[in-house]
Amino acid sequence: MPAVLGFEGSANKIGVGVVRDGKVLANPRRTYVTPPGTGFLPGDTARHHRAVILDLLQEALTEAGLTSEDIDCIAYTKGPGMGAPLVSVAVVARTVAQLWNKPLLGVNHCIGHIEMGRLITGATNPTVLYVSGGNTQVIAYSEHRYRIFGETIDIAVGNCLDRFARVLKISNDPSPGYNIEQMAKRGKKLVELPYTVKGMDVSFSGILSFIEETVFAMLVEITERAMAHCGSQEALIVGGVGCNVRLQEMMETMCQERGARLFATDERFCIDNGAMIAQAGWEMFQAGHRTPLSESGITQRYRTDEVEVTWRD
Amino acid sequence: MQASGGGAGGAEDRDDQQSSRIPACQSGSGSAEGEAVRRAPQGRGGPGRGRAVMEAAVARPQGEQAPGGVGSAGDVAPLAVRPRRGEVVLTLRVPFQSPLEADMARRSLLPDAQRHQGLIRKEFAVNGSDLLVRWTADDLAFIRLSMNPFLDQLSLVIRNIRSLGLPPRQSRS
Repeated sequence: MPAVLGFEGSANKIGVGVVRDGKVLANPRRTYVTPPGTGFLPGDTARHHRAVILDLLQEALTEAGLTSEDIDCIAYTKGPGMGAPLVSVAVVARTVAQLWNKPLLGVNHCIGHIEMGRLITGATNPTVLYVSGGNTQVIAYSEHRYRIFGETIDIAVGNCLDRFARVLKISNDPSPGYNIEQMAKRGKKLVELPYTVKGMDVSFSGILSFIEETVFAMLVEITERAMAHCGSQEALIVGGVGCNVRLQEMMETMCQERGARLFATDERFCIDNGAMIAQAGWEMFQAGHRTPLSESGITQRYRTDEVEVTWRD
Repeated sequence: MQASGGGAGGAEDRDDQQSSRIPACQSGSGSAEGEAVRRAPQGRGGPGRGRAVMEAAVARPQGEQAPGGVGSAGDVAPLAVRPRRGEVVLTLRVPFQSPLEADMARRSLLPDAQRHQGLIRKEFAVNGSDLLVRWTADDLAFIRLSMNPFLDQLSLVIRNIRSLGLPPRQSRS
């Protein structure tokens, strides 16, 4: 019954999780929130992570009721993500692995999301829509690779929403996307053009509804295309943007029309967290993967399909 | 932590085995203490002054008993690349409680050290209980850009080792 400790900090969330045999024993997390109108920069984000990571580690062990001797493997995010935050987390993972004399495992962040999504929802072989501030991909598993069927050709959908929130100085607490969603719910008018002026006043909620309807419809279309190509009867949404209820509704409509089933997780697991790295690490550990210290460097670009998924048939 | 003058990183004189390492410490009164950066000497076969700087650096480790001892046979491999003419070299010496801890820190920090190697060269070594880090670049500004985040990561590793501690059987020696 191996227990795996997972460290995640590739963007503005820092999390440490413990997973043992399909059970999440602990998953504390902190978010670095910047003032409205600003985004998070690598150096400041790394500083935030460095300040809290050792406390989070203790919290995770305490919550799981485990000591270092009970942990069998240290997993961490090798990439993709922002450089300085990734390094800050990786050095702790390496130090802990050496101090406790445990094997180290570098995990692909996207695969962490996928494996946690599969664990929590029980979906067997879904087409995956991975949408977050840093990534937008449609992924299907085939012959030991998570194949990227479609992706953004420029910025991630969450990045688009975050930047939009920044322009309007919408609060980043708890996340800009969450606040956009709440405001968009109150929007009553869907407009074709994002320009609404009422006399001397302006209205922004219509713009936000427009943003959501349009970008989410785009995502539904490419997911549907991948499902048609693969003959898939399951769809799984992972990544922070997956928390958005409107996106889930639109995906559900599409799935029902196809006679397929939609899976999604709640904010504990669709937002970046340590347990998802631990879960992917658990699968990899069981399958015999190891990351020697000398090869444990982080990488800001780490494609989902670079990893050989030996733990699935 | 102590920054020591590593400029005579010309201690890569091939005739002297011992001097092929970063000088562990330049103690004693005078020049090196408090001096963080020195320009590398002007080439090997250069005129008198350049050679004298290099020789001084070569001679000093033999003459001194640096605290913690100058390296023994069990050290990590020496640093082999000598700075080119005009390059700036900065050496950092970080004392740990034991050689084990120093090497642990090295292995935690080294894998990401190669990320921006175009403009600067960063090298690690362990000498006794000291972690040695050496930056070589054309311009001090590049070294400063690299060193600031490095010190943050190093500080985290030190806090990490302190907070978790070594298990009893890996005790300090």
